[in-house]
Amino acid sequence: MDQKTPYLFISPALLLLIMFSLFPIVIAFVISFTDINLVGLADWSKINFIGLENYKNVLSDPIFLKSIGNTLFYVIIGVPLVIICSLGIALMINFSQAKIFQFFRLIFYTPSITNVVAVAVVWSYLYNPQFGLFNYLLSLLDLPAVPWLQDPTIAKISLIILALWRAIGVNMIIFLAALQGIPREYYEAAQLDGANRWKQLTNVTVPLLRFAIFFVTVTTMIGWLQFFEEPFVMTQGGPLDSTTSVALFIYRNGFQLSKFGYAAAGSFILFIAIIIITIVQFKIQNRHSDTQM
Amino acid sequence: MKKKWSILLLTMVLTLGVALAGCGNSDDAADTKVLNVWAMGDEAKQLPKLAKEFEKDTGIKVKVQAIPWANAHDKLLTAVASKSGPDVVQMGTTWMPEFVAAGALEDLDSYTDKYAELEGKNFFDGSAKTTKFDDKTYAVPWYADTRVLFYRTDILKKAGYDHAPKTWDELSEVAKKLSDRGDDMYGLNIDGKEQSLGFMFGRQNGSPLFDDANKPVFNKKPFVDSVSYLNSFFQNGSAPKAELGLDVAQTFGGDAIIPMFISGPWMVKAVKDTVPDIDGKWATAVLPAKENNTSSLGGANLAVFKYGKNKDDAGKFLQFMSKPETQLKWMELTNSLPTVQKSWENETLKDDPFYKIFGEQMANAEPMPLIPEFEEIAQAYMKNFEQIYRGGADVQDQMDNFNKEVNTILKNN
Repeated sequence: MDQKTPYLFISPALLLLIMFSLFPIVIAFVISFTDINLVGLADWSKINFIGLENYKNVLSDPIFLKSIGNTLFYVIIGVPLVIICSLGIALMINFSQAKIFQFFRLIFYTPSITNVVAVAVVWSYLYNPQFGLFNYLLSLLDLPAVPWLQDPTIAKISLIILALWRAIGVNMIIFLAALQGIPREYYEAAQLDGANRWKQLTNVTVPLLRFAIFFVTVTTMIGWLQFFEEPFVMTQGGPLDSTTSVALFIYRNGFQLSKFGYAAAGSFILFIAIIIITIVQFKIQNRHSDTQM
Repeated sequence: MKKKWSILLLTMVLTLGVALAGCGNSDDAADTKVLNVWAMGDEAKQLPKLAKEFEKDTGIKVKVQAIPWANAHDKLLTAVASKSGPDVVQMGTTWMPEFVAAGALEDLDSYTDKYAELEGKNFFDGSAKTTKFDDKTYAVPWYADTRVLFYRTDILKKAGYDHAPKTWDELSEVAKKLSDRGDDMYGLNIDGKEQSLGFMFGRQNGSPLFDDANKPVFNKKPFVDSVSYLNSFFQNGSAPKAELGLDVAQTFGGDAIIPMFISGPWMVKAVKDTVPDIDGKWATAVLPAKENNTSSLGGANLAVFKYGKNKDDAGKFLQFMSKPETQLKWMELTNSLPTVQKSWENETLKDDPFYKIFGEQMANAEPMPLIPEFEEIAQAYMKNFEQIYRGGADVQDQMDNFNKEVNTILKNN
């Protein structure tokens, strides 16, 4: 009885988790081995088990391979940028307790609470090649217009800039909280030892922020691996599929073309990739903390 | 101890109850006597006005739910999966094969016996074709949409043309001349994201799309030539290669960066409303011809949903919507083209300079291939075409590739 009581207390949460998280995952896993489409959805007897066929097809689909490349591009450029920018801004805002700095905190946080679609619409005007603000500013400096969303590589970078702008807010708050948790005594001790501001930053602040940085890295990485809204609203994956992310590829096949099995196979490959990358990150983090101890 | 248990149990039941209530479909709770209608897009907001008249005539209560086009497909999928949904549903013509194959639509043959208005011969042939599968009728045409050429009469006159281009050669000649007006000036807009455009031009060049054995013929000469023709507009600067990020008021008004484009009836209202200053300086014309000038035919149908509860009243609603008067009223409200042939005998349609053209073009319009895989084929076409006009790929190679893709798509499904 005593041993079972805790389970009873967590059972409501557990039940919800099983019903709405684990159960759908299992169903998606089963679906990924079938050829279910709209017809199958209406009449379950028409669903056939086709084994690994979906996985084979999706892994040889040139657009899927391209979307993996695009997603890696987003992750490799986007994640470090998010960490550097949000940490930098958090450090600057932490500099002083003056009212104006609190106001900055609000300004940097606003993008993350505004609606993505609204933001994307506004940004597509900013990016507009003919009379967008960005090209107008460039023309003032006598620089040529940039095809923000029309060139395959630049379009990817444009989306990263937008997503970076949106991602800074939340991560900045996490860093700020961690920064304010560092006891002042450490800095006082460092100052007594004659450490300048830069030494204090590299030897006190950053090491003590290790867990915050790790947390932000993992969550940001998972977020960017599932990059979806920005390309969906702004470029629909174009031009030449150069901005199609894996998540957008899955959405297109699943909901536009009703190829549910195919999309489920794609989403499982993404799921496994995310798990592997996260495990690797945890392993690296553990090794670091071992050597530090 | 016992009390604790019961409290815990109660919380569990409550949490579950709340969670489950979230999944319930609120539509089901509605009175079964009410006729539920799902309509899509902006025009659906006008439908309640017509529904009111229907209520007055028959005493049947109608509840119209307007769904944005972007969500409509998802919403219908959910309805099919849960086997519950509206009584009458609007169907985009290209979705018909998919939902007929899924068995989601009622066979209307028993209704046509009862209501003469629903018979196929009342409608334009092209529209009626989109409702028939395996000799059965699954919907009635509601409104049609066909593509015509929009052009600026004053700009073309300045370039030396007092009439709309009538042939393919003339179209490319005019477009080139118009693009020579200066930098950032173009002749004709070709929308790379418009899925029916390529197939429409293919047909104009005499390509059947699929041969008698239902094998795709996209790598054969007639189709390849039509793609080369479209591509030539991009390559000689007559059509903008990259999206300009402008809307019609900016490209078509004023000096007209793009003085010609191909689009459907909704653009008549859009141009009238957004660029009133060019009133009288623009017109519509039937498409320029090669072998023929076949346009694409789209639009929407009305179908009785298999999982609806009110099938008799649904039939009456379809009958009401298929009356020529209702269709004319609908045109007044939304600028959609009537599918009932009788409506076109009305003066408002016969004498209107814009609608007249659409009527002429309707006689020469074909729906896209009515197969469930069409959406996927169209997506593949747009991708391959983008490789050609933007990526500079060889037309024949890319079309060989596209044809192969279509074969796989057809085999897989």
